[in-house]
Amino acid sequence: MPAILIGRIVRRLARWRKPGGGSAVPGLVVNRIAPGFLAHTLNGFPGGLVIVSGSSGKSTTTKMLVAALRASGKQVFTNESTANISQGLTSALLERVSLAGRIHGDIAVLEMDEGHGALISARLTPSVVTLTNVMVDQIDRFHDSEMVAAMLAKIANRATDAVVINADDDYLNGVAAGLAGHARVERFGVSADVLAGSPRGLGYSRTAPARLTPGDGVVLTRVDGREATVSLDGAAHEVALPARGVHYAVDAVAALATARAVLGEEFDVSVAADAVSRIPPVFGRGEIVTVRGRTVEFVLVQNPASFQLNLDSLDAHTEQLLVALGSDVRDPSYFWPVDTSRLGRVLIASGSKAHDIALQLAYDDVDVERVEPDLGRALDDFLALPDPATGLKTIVFSADSMRRTRAHLGLTSNIEEPA
Amino acid sequence: MTDTLTIVSLLPGLQDTNGDAANARVLAQRARWAGFDAVVLDVAPGDALPASADIIVIGSGSDAALPAARAALLPMADRLRELVTAGVPLLAVGTGWELLGVGIDLADGSVVEGIGLVAGRAVPAPARIADDLAVKSKYGRLIGFENHSRHYVGAEGSPLGRVLAGTGNGNGQEGLVMGDVFGTHLHGPVLARNPGLADHLLRLALARRGSDYVPGARSDAVDETARAARNQVAVRLKLPAE
Ligand SMILES: [Zn+2]
Repeated sequence: MPAILIGRIVRRLARWRKPGGGSAVPGLVVNRIAPGFLAHTLNGFPGGLVIVSGSSGKSTTTKMLVAALRASGKQVFTNESTANISQGLTSALLERVSLAGRIHGDIAVLEMDEGHGALISARLTPSVVTLTNVMVDQIDRFHDSEMVAAMLAKIANRATDAVVINADDDYLNGVAAGLAGHARVERFGVSADVLAGSPRGLGYSRTAPARLTPGDGVVLTRVDGREATVSLDGAAHEVALPARGVHYAVDAVAALATARAVLGEEFDVSVAADAVSRIPPVFGRGEIVTVRGRTVEFVLVQNPASFQLNLDSLDAHTEQLLVALGSDVRDPSYFWPVDTSRLGRVLIASGSKAHDIALQLAYDDVDVERVEPDLGRALDDFLALPDPATGLKTIVFSADSMRRTRAHLGLTSNIEEPA
Repeated sequence: MTDTLTIVSLLPGLQDTNGDAANARVLAQRARWAGFDAVVLDVAPGDALPASADIIVIGSGSDAALPAARAALLPMADRLRELVTAGVPLLAVGTGWELLGVGIDLADGSVVEGIGLVAGRAVPAPARIADDLAVKSKYGRLIGFENHSRHYVGAEGSPLGRVLAGTGNGNGQEGLVMGDVFGTHLHGPVLARNPGLADHLLRLALARRGSDYVPGARSDAVDETARAARNQVAVRLKLPAE
């Protein structure tokens, strides 16, 4: 029986046992019986394979890039469910692949975490590799920046056509300088004004001393709330962002630079910018939901850099804040480099690490009205409060607290995007 | 002598992998809550140590940063020795502590020499240690997180305390106390979670100025939160809550 067929059957069985569960099990089975399946299929897209990697921003960049490519008329296979382990990827491929082992599609765009990407990329031949940045985050906190950069270099060296890098990240400049192959290097970055508007920098482990000149790449020249201006080939283009924050604008320039590298002559900046502008608010990050008759903004923090950037971009008049850290934050000291003083007052600190985050807030002179480790109770009481006079009710949470929040409020936990 | 307490934070750019530089912020806040003025003075590589210092803290960094941190500490070594000999309390965490010792034996066989401010050296542990750490000490039961790949030998005569849960120095003891220099693997804001140790440092520093330290009212509420955070870990470690 062909491996693909076995995978399909296992997949059917896995779904049958657990409704809605697109599990990694079928992928695991196929990887066992046909170890070359994954690489062979991924390398077989006529328009090439694009890999987006880096410490942070790869998920949003991937979504924006896929939107730009689809708007340009391409059929794109992507791992939108953030199934970036090889079993998950194989399972996702199995959904689309024909029994002959072919996938209907022009281009594959994959988001890969640096560690995993470095492991499986040896068998992949991506046409384009995009690297977002080097930050030391929760998962990689036992690695240092040098190790992360070395893993990204491994992925970048597989590129046959182009490596697209964030020119503001000095580790990535090092990766670009050390490339062994013939792939050309394309760059994106922010202007000196944009960097100056981010007093704490952009969170990269090492920021490059010089900014990109607009002629040398795709440059972010302005960010204002959810609007950004991008300079590309000498002309300015407006882009709407899925949420407030400079990091989303950087993701947008990364996506545009990559779309241009992938599409070449077929790249139409207005089509791409328009597609990037229309992607829905990013899942759990600056997402605005209506629940129990209240409008609430969700802000997801995944590492100190995103915590700081998100806090810095919060509306200064936010008067109702709930901050929840969950068990995914194994060691809460990790967040202490973040300066939370700007919050001023937090109504409830919650989650299983409620006391730890309350402690940090207190030392930053933030008034914490209440510490309530029971997230359900905290949410109920927070939502029951009358609407604030200014700003939105805002919930800042770690990934674990986000999942529990969505479950408690009966919000769907996954948005299936049409292919 | 000015009335402002100066908390010196050594190399926060290099030595803040786990948020240890926050210990300086914690000391300054507790001093303010007790009615004293306090400033945190960051000392970067190449900077001179200030003429007067009341407490010195240094945090932990990555192993890749060890040579750079050592090179930055070396020109300060004599002045640091003068200050601690004069009774200025110093708290050193993780690799910041290791660098103050005699040397660091790396797993690949190479050695990073310490600045020799305190006794003992760091030697490779069989595997990386990243877990909760609870220590019985003179300053109360200390609870925090440890994340290191080396043990510490040569501090047997004067440890910070006895390990209740976790690894510490690797021999049932944790940390080092030499005069008023404290070394520990308890990383992150150890002083926020364990205000008993923070207040000990503040008491030493203010006594040198002829002042008494009495924790401020705001400390009470904050320390209650710290106690709850510690107890949560204690319960997980099957230790009695306090
Ligand atoms: Zn409820």
